[in-house]
Amino acid sequence: MDIKQQIKATLQEAEIYRSQGLITEAHARYQNAVKIINSIENLKNKDSLLKAITEKIKALNITQEKVDKGPTTPELSKKAQDLIKNLFTFSDSKDEETAALEGAVALAKFGQFDRALKELNGLLAKDAIRVEAAKNILRCYMASTSTDEAINQYHQWHSGDLFQPQQLETVRGYLVDILQKRGLEANLPSPLGMAAKAAKTVEPVIDIDAPAETEEEFLDITSIGITFDKGPRKGKMVEFDVNFQSGNTLSLIISKKDNDLIDGLEAGTKLKEVQFFSPIAIFNGAGVVVSKTQIKTGPKQGDFCLDIRIVST
Amino acid sequence: MAIFNLKKREIECKVVYYGPGRCGKTTNLEYIFSSYKKQVKGEMVSINTEGDRTLFFDFLPIGLGQIKGCDVRVQLYTVPGQVKYSSTRKLVLRGVDGIVFVADSLEVRREKNMLSLKDLQANLKEYGKSIFKVPLVMQYNKRDLAEQGIPLMSIEQMEKDLNRQLKVPSFQGSAVSGEGVGATLKECLKLTLQSLQREFKWAQ
Repeated sequence: MDIKQQIKATLQEAEIYRSQGLITEAHARYQNAVKIINSIENLKNKDSLLKAITEKIKALNITQEKVDKGPTTPELSKKAQDLIKNLFTFSDSKDEETAALEGAVALAKFGQFDRALKELNGLLAKDAIRVEAAKNILRCYMASTSTDEAINQYHQWHSGDLFQPQQLETVRGYLVDILQKRGLEANLPSPLGMAAKAAKTVEPVIDIDAPAETEEEFLDITSIGITFDKGPRKGKMVEFDVNFQSGNTLSLIISKKDNDLIDGLEAGTKLKEVQFFSPIAIFNGAGVVVSKTQIKTGPKQGDFCLDIRIVST
Repeated sequence: MAIFNLKKREIECKVVYYGPGRCGKTTNLEYIFSSYKKQVKGEMVSINTEGDRTLFFDFLPIGLGQIKGCDVRVQLYTVPGQVKYSSTRKLVLRGVDGIVFVADSLEVRREKNMLSLKDLQANLKEYGKSIFKVPLVMQYNKRDLAEQGIPLMSIEQMEKDLNRQLKVPSFQGSAVSGEGVGATLKECLKLTLQSLQREFKWAQ
């Protein structure tokens, strides 16, 4: 191929890559063309050709910058947000409240924090999912604005009367966990009062190191198998579906019919043998019961909400 | 995960177009949207960013009508190809029933194809699925660019790079002109429905 044809072919290739949106590849080809042109001493229109290519490269650089700096999570139209809620709610639950919670969480996962927060705040009125809604509100603040915002929100809840003390304590424990993982300390008042707080502080500290991962890096756990060391199922492993997960805390809704199963599982109970089933793998570890709450109202009235924190894997 | 309504005899499944950035996933869906009007059951939704790159996903619902006494509906998705949208890709892949892997035939995109396939394998693994077991079809896209003198990989090369171990059905394609788009989707739907039949025994 003679040199002119070579230049022409290289430029044509660059132009096609540019039209395909392959910025890096187009850039490399234009640079290659510049090299070829510079290697020829007596090329006609050499300067104008080089100038034209330089302009093309400049334009590519601008496009690249726009792509790099483009928002990763822009606010979408309501229609698009509705679609996300509709398409990314995977629960086959007929429970409207649970579905609404999943929809709001889906919005948050796609970075639609404003609407997610609005919907989650609305769900605080529902007793059965209040704690999960609150946890996700805190997560939204942490992801979209700041830790301070999450702390302020907790203080507001603490000074209000929306939450039952045990519910707010669960939320507090959750927030404290996240803050600790980020190396932060906040003096979050406990809703359980000083006596309960003191009693809590003398509880044995979990002797297993907290996982090093950041809160967002926990695997999705779909179910867990607990091997009971007492009660009617002593020595046997019973599998429970995970209804919600916030970082390393898993929430299970357990039917009132299975009350005997979880009779011995009170807040603070250590679970030494737990199998965690995640889509990526099954792994063994330990957990601790953070809270056990009986649902007072709604379709799951009488059932139990058990929060378990993973303490080692 | 496919939804099967036994009473209504309806099945709804999810097919995801996967592949490196700018390989032609969205173009595949655009061609389906414009050319298979009878099957298309709603608007195609694209959420794009700067430079017309897919930001979250494209979505296109289609209906295949009655198959073996069952009304079959399919949700087609694309994932964002850019490396930085890894978490969105994983979200979109959740509950997938069948996959079309769109590979870019341009020689300069060889490595990107392989990295994207590896990324697919890793993401499937996180959902407990094996790339060797999931219904999967390959499309070697942009074959039309050979006419313009652009260096493309040979089909043999692409088979060796991407399909040596998987040994899944593969098709040459040009999503811009529509060549191979229908055949790719048809094969993927066939494999997906066969797989769901093994799971749900939905066919009468």
